[in-house]
Amino acid sequence: MQKSLYKAGCTLAGMLMLTMSITACGSGNSAENNGAAATAGSGNAAAPAAKAPVKISYLTFRVGTHASAKMEEEQIKQFNAKYGNEVEVVVEEIPSDAAYVDKIKILAASGDVPDVVMGKDGINDVLIKGNLATPFNDYLDKDAEWKAAIGEDALASNTRDGKIWSISDQKQNIGYFYNKEMFDKAGIKPAETWDEFMSNNEKLKAAGFVPLALMTGENAWTSNLILAAMIGTNGENGKTFMNTLHPTDFNTPEMIQALNMMKELLEKYTTKDALGAGYANAANAFSQGKAAMIANGPWMIGDFSDPTKSSEGFDAKVGVAAYPNNSLISTYEVGYMIGAKTPETRDAAEKFIKFKTGLEGQTLALEYGNVMPVSSEVQPSDALKEKYPIMVESITVAQKTQLHYRTLDSIVYPNVTDAWKNLYPKLAAGRATAEEIAKELTEIAAKNK
Amino acid sequence: MVRKNRGYITLFLLPTVALFIIVYAVSLVILFSTSFTEWSAGRSPVFIGLANYIKLFTDDADFRQSALNTGIWVVLQSTVHVAIGTLFAVILSMKEFYWKFARTVYMFPNIISGAAVGMLFLCMLNPEFGAVNSIVRLFGNADYSQNWFMDYATAFLSVTMTWLPYAAVVTILILAEIAAIPESLFESARIDGASNFKINLYIIIPMLRNIIGTCVILSGTSMLQKMDIILMTTGGGPGNQTMNLPIYIYKTALMDNNFGYSNSVGVFLIGFGLIFVLLCRNLFRIGSSQN
Repeated sequence: MQKSLYKAGCTLAGMLMLTMSITACGSGNSAENNGAAATAGSGNAAAPAAKAPVKISYLTFRVGTHASAKMEEEQIKQFNAKYGNEVEVVVEEIPSDAAYVDKIKILAASGDVPDVVMGKDGINDVLIKGNLATPFNDYLDKDAEWKAAIGEDALASNTRDGKIWSISDQKQNIGYFYNKEMFDKAGIKPAETWDEFMSNNEKLKAAGFVPLALMTGENAWTSNLILAAMIGTNGENGKTFMNTLHPTDFNTPEMIQALNMMKELLEKYTTKDALGAGYANAANAFSQGKAAMIANGPWMIGDFSDPTKSSEGFDAKVGVAAYPNNSLISTYEVGYMIGAKTPETRDAAEKFIKFKTGLEGQTLALEYGNVMPVSSEVQPSDALKEKYPIMVESITVAQKTQLHYRTLDSIVYPNVTDAWKNLYPKLAAGRATAEEIAKELTEIAAKNK
Repeated sequence: MVRKNRGYITLFLLPTVALFIIVYAVSLVILFSTSFTEWSAGRSPVFIGLANYIKLFTDDADFRQSALNTGIWVVLQSTVHVAIGTLFAVILSMKEFYWKFARTVYMFPNIISGAAVGMLFLCMLNPEFGAVNSIVRLFGNADYSQNWFMDYATAFLSVTMTWLPYAAVVTILILAEIAAIPESLFESARIDGASNFKINLYIIIPMLRNIIGTCVILSGTSMLQKMDIILMTTGGGPGNQTMNLPIYIYKTALMDNNFGYSNSVGVFLIGFGLIFVLLCRNLFRIGSSQN
């Protein structure tokens, strides 16, 4: 009798432990996505002071050696100092951009995204289609000051069917940096036409320099900036293509012509490791004086005076130029989205995003991350101008350009962005013609769901 | 006695069974059922019958190349890799003065994470500053440059060489099995005048059938999961030259946002693995007596 009681007790205890462990696993976030995409702003606008801060989850890849890590750290620090008694931001660090995108997509598949999400690389599409995001319209309508700080153009770039799905925190004005010393020795100046650009490459090569720091690994960033410029400056059709969200047909004369030019650049005018190289290889090639040009944005400016990345005095050798045809890549980042599910966390998420994207947040981004603000009210401080004269030069170049287009990453589907790393080596090896690559790109875009 | 303990047996099995059901069985059921659907992140799955499988086998060149590469790597790993490990184990079993040092050194590549190994090879084979090209330049053409991971002629072999020769796990398993062979067998053979070579060939290797079979299964199936090093080095390129099924699953799910289709590839991969394991079990008669 005693034995059977003991057995029954053990069984019960075992069952209880099992039940508890299973329950604990599933209790992380039981809140339903109660019409997340419904109109926002229905929660408590101002929480009572005595109330515990609302916890919101935020994942960030701007950590470690990331160019914007310092900016991110400062923004969060200052937000906590200002609103820490109302909102507690629970930060989870993700080691790379790619890992961030993968993680958010997997979370989206299970319908459980963080409260604040960066909508880059197609994340915005997934969240919008999956009814997992809250538009900002109501929040912005109630706050004219914030709306003005973002500006109509930046808001329009993230608006679909009248709904503002994300708030951009930066404007990317991207030309290319060049090594003035090498240019002088080769007897050239920044090209005004693509013919001159190709001729500059030849002259640099003849002078014993590697003209371009290209890379085809990861998202082929520095190569694709030049490809985007080649397409965007190729007549009205090219400009339209480079300003169209989610192009589905890559079989265009502009794309094919640009791919043929890129093939030549990869074959003749870049480093030996460009095929398969990552961003770090290309940046290193330029910063170490092994290549004469690199296409990249102003956030790289800090690297030129960083002794761990460049030789001493390298920043004085760097100039910045627009692409041929007086053109520049100019695009607004997708920025931040609200993934929060309850009115309370939605409001807290909005508060955090408002801080990051408002005038204060934009100033911090500019000062700590060399990130171009979306508002013209935010200007670099005298200290920043003195520290980075090339930043001023960069702004001047941007103001003079007349033709603008977006980055390829910001217009194409994520699977197209991912395909470059496989397609460029194919193109360079002559395994496929530019026409065939364009056809493949079209097929890849069609696969996107 | 068994009947008396049945309650306890059930009780202690319960957590394992429950964990298996939650972690594996449920996932497998979801994987299998959603492979018949059109399903992308944030949207509900829609049943589309066999459409994913039909497309997979009739109209998907990347899948065919990935399956072919996976098959080649499984074969190479379960033959060449196991042979290298076995040979090394037989040599070490002679316990010459170097055997402990060699065993430890050979283990190094197996204790480093896949991503780190990928990074290591990426640097060693870098066309600009990599050690391999630098050594070649020292002995010959000063302008020599070979992009090992991105050249169509060398990409597949270069990736394969990041894992094929490092068979320390096989070596250790086989060494342990050799240590379990009774010494009397070797003594009898030596009395009969058998050389070391003949002892290895006619006594040791036949007695290793079970463990070699196990190593073949372990090594072969490890290729069905291989992803980290490929992602670090070639990303499946150039073109789809080094793409395998795990990379293809990753791309279809997270890049194309096509989870339904990706899961149909997953079902194929599991089926492929099961067939491979069954074949190996029958081929090596794993579990049966050595005699």
